[in-house]
Amino acid sequence: MNSSPDTAFLHEDNAKLIFSPLKFRRLEAKNRLFRSNLSGMFDDYNGHGGNARLNWEEKFAKGGVGCIISSYTPVAVRGRILTRYAMIDNDDKIPFWRAVGERVHQYDCKFIMQLSHSGRQQDLGGVENLHKKGLSSTNRKDFFHGLLARAMTPKEIAEVVEQFAQGARRAKEAGLDGVELHGANGYLITQFLSSGINDRTDEYGGSWENRARFVLEIVRAIRGEVGADFHLQMKINAVDHNDWLYPWVKKGNTLDETKKICRMLLDDGKGVDAFHISSGSTFPHPRNPPGDFPVLEALRWYDGMLSQGTRTRFNYWIFDHKITASLFVALWKWRRGKIIEGINAAHAKALRDHIQKVDDSVKFLCTGGFQHANKIAAAIREGACDGVTIGRPLIANNDLPEILRDADGPTENRACTYCNKCLMNDLENPLGCYELSRYPGNSFEEKWDNMIAEVMSVFEPPTFR
Amino acid sequence: MDLNRLTPVEQANKRRRWTRFLVIAALLAGALYYLIFENTYVVAYEDDRRHFMYGSIGSEIANGLPYWVFKALPVLYQEELGPKGYRRFGFLYESEDADLPIGVSRRIVQGIERVWLNCAVCHVGTYRESPSSDPVKLYGAPANNLRLYEFIQFLRRVAADSKFTADNVVRAIDSEAVGGDLNFLERALYRYVIVDRVRDGLLDVRNRLGFLDRQFDWGPGRVDTFNPYKAIQFNFPMDRDHITEIELNGSSDYPSIWRQAPREGMQLHWDGNNTSVAERNLSAALGAGVTPVTVDRDSIKRLESWIWDLPAPPFPKAAEIDAGAAEKGRKLYAYYCADCHGMGAGDGGYDYDTARYGRLGRVVRLSDIATDRGRWASYTENFAAAQNLLYAGYPWRFSQFRKTEGYASQPLDGIWARSPYLHNGSVPTLRDLLEPADNRPALWYRGGDLFDFAKVGYRSDDGAASKVSLFLYDTSRPGNSNRGHEGAAYGTELDAAGKDAIVEYMKTL
Repeated sequence: MNSSPDTAFLHEDNAKLIFSPLKFRRLEAKNRLFRSNLSGMFDDYNGHGGNARLNWEEKFAKGGVGCIISSYTPVAVRGRILTRYAMIDNDDKIPFWRAVGERVHQYDCKFIMQLSHSGRQQDLGGVENLHKKGLSSTNRKDFFHGLLARAMTPKEIAEVVEQFAQGARRAKEAGLDGVELHGANGYLITQFLSSGINDRTDEYGGSWENRARFVLEIVRAIRGEVGADFHLQMKINAVDHNDWLYPWVKKGNTLDETKKICRMLLDDGKGVDAFHISSGSTFPHPRNPPGDFPVLEALRWYDGMLSQGTRTRFNYWIFDHKITASLFVALWKWRRGKIIEGINAAHAKALRDHIQKVDDSVKFLCTGGFQHANKIAAAIREGACDGVTIGRPLIANNDLPEILRDADGPTENRACTYCNKCLMNDLENPLGCYELSRYPGNSFEEKWDNMIAEVMSVFEPPTFR
Repeated sequence: MDLNRLTPVEQANKRRRWTRFLVIAALLAGALYYLIFENTYVVAYEDDRRHFMYGSIGSEIANGLPYWVFKALPVLYQEELGPKGYRRFGFLYESEDADLPIGVSRRIVQGIERVWLNCAVCHVGTYRESPSSDPVKLYGAPANNLRLYEFIQFLRRVAADSKFTADNVVRAIDSEAVGGDLNFLERALYRYVIVDRVRDGLLDVRNRLGFLDRQFDWGPGRVDTFNPYKAIQFNFPMDRDHITEIELNGSSDYPSIWRQAPREGMQLHWDGNNTSVAERNLSAALGAGVTPVTVDRDSIKRLESWIWDLPAPPFPKAAEIDAGAAEKGRKLYAYYCADCHGMGAGDGGYDYDTARYGRLGRVVRLSDIATDRGRWASYTENFAAAQNLLYAGYPWRFSQFRKTEGYASQPLDGIWARSPYLHNGSVPTLRDLLEPADNRPALWYRGGDLFDFAKVGYRSDDGAASKVSLFLYDTSRPGNSNRGHEGAAYGTELDAAGKDAIVEYMKTL
């Protein structure tokens, strides 16, 4: 699906569809282009938001997206993935998020907060978490970085459920337009949902119903706090592909299991309003964000993670040697497959078809490399989704919606290359596009200066003027 | 309170480092264990004959003596052995200052160099033309000098000797005569472990071979092949209630081992108990001290291929053979001897054709051949059954051993170099063998290597060597009978000229 340009429709037809409003049960976005959750270590170390975050979100609102899904927003410091991400762990964060909402709303852009908890997948937990193992469904460390884990007790599960509920309440109090549960890409909710990770023997492990119990309790707790009228959506893996690195590791959830879990989360109309479809039970994963593995960037910026896991040194050794790095990159590309733009569309369609037979008011968003109008329109037209979420192509071109209004996509030299350098730089540098080839200039230095200027523009205007 | 508490990741890495260290240490220890205690090391010889003389067949692993103990014994027991050391037992040395005798190989086992016997110890003979000439070595011939019985009895005495202590052995090793250069570790091992273990091993041999005290000395050039085999390999009871005096005294001459290819399929061993050269060889190796689990088959296979075509040595005085007499002898030989023994081929080789010579390589009934029954009796059906269990589980498991009805007739290639004659070496020369038993020497000396080129055989008079090194062979003792292989059919009733002619002819074989 979506592997080649759809020539049956004119660009005008595609643009018309893309820029038509998307109506959820309780929320309406002006178009079908959502900014996916993109973080960036812009905030205060202790989780208070900063001026750069306002600038960051404003860039995309100004660029014309219909809705922004916030950065990965931890509901507790124990659940952060990187430091300097604004959190929603306390009422004292409400004023900041209110300011974010207000800044975005100026551009007729909606703002959904992504409520998140890292579980064991805590890349840089910060000094607050230095002596703690990541909370998880399991005691087993993750197979990629070797991030240590401790299985949560029922009491701790109840506490985290409540943290999500309070996060949703704070989002609503901040005047935001909805919340999203980050149930994909290997974070805490995935760690419970995935049959490849969850090895519990209590009522939160075993069958898919048991594994989904944790997130269902969160949905119900959120509804208990914010009522039926507040938009609630769930980001979920269509398929886990948990065995991407080591073939002997369990595969995780299949599409059929995900269908059943999504059906359960409707909770007879009282549950979620929309699903946001991704894939991959780790982050990063060859299928998310789909693209290349930038070895040189990994060598420069993965070093900060060396102290965080028991396998990070081994990974770094792999990246640092030409033969092993080449093999890793080849594996990465092989496990990703050939399709990048619309990589999740086929699975999203299967899920949407299944769920909309039950309740057609439940909408679907799909992520995965979208940056061309014909691909986006085709995904919507074919029933894979009702709207798309875009990450890296919007970092490359904040004004992508404006581009898509008039053209099928960015010019070749300005398009996102899916190099994933942004992803790797996020470990130590301001989030932005680090693909030098995209920047104007006749020399390396010229291009470099232009790149730095663009990346640093997130700090403009400064906090104090 | 530990204010420098490690993070969980650091603790896990620390544990992993320990695990890694332990795994690597275990692997290294395993490798060292294998290299020192499992693997063994031998000196390899490019030349096949040197491999025969000094190459290891695996006897050192289970039965060998540590090199320095072997070197120290002649010093420690100088009073008993005299200045000749192991030469006293007929061991041959390539030169005066040779380190080890021919037929003694070395192998490093569990980090300690050990020595023990190989095939050459029993299959290298010597002859001399005159008392003043140097011995000429005959590779593959019977070891006419070797006094294995005395050597074994010496080791059995050592086992129980109060002089054989670790301190005395180490002192002997340190002596100028031995020149041991033990380092601190070796010295400690010899002092506290090795010598004691050697004594334990020798005491075991002493006990198992206790029946040797009831045997008559086998004498030089002879071995009791199967009675020690019964005791050592199978722990057969060897007391008076279980073994008769006849069965107990079954010593025989060492055989020659050349030209094995044509012998494949013939009945091998004196009593013809096996028709497979390979099986016979593996069995003989057990006699040299290997065991079914320690045998070095590659080494034995190399020897096997060497003796497969090894030529018999030519008669040293071929030029002096009386051609006329030899031609006359050839005809007589063809008439009397060839059907059982084959004969020379026209091209100067030997004709082993069992189709032409119907009884060649076949067993002749004991009642017909009428030679001494001791060797025949020492090989029993029970023993054959036990032998056929050896190497069980391997493709080369023994399966051919059988009890036969007599003694096997053999090709007579190089017969001049296989003196004395008959299976028990009871007749000193070929010429004597052509006499009726009553005319054969009844009491004669063996152990010298002066050669009688006329009668063909080692001299058996008391001038054949110094009195000390001669062994008085008494044909009246059990196992020593010189009777049999006589009568009209065997040519012993020919006239003297005819007998001389046959001997003349046999010099050409």
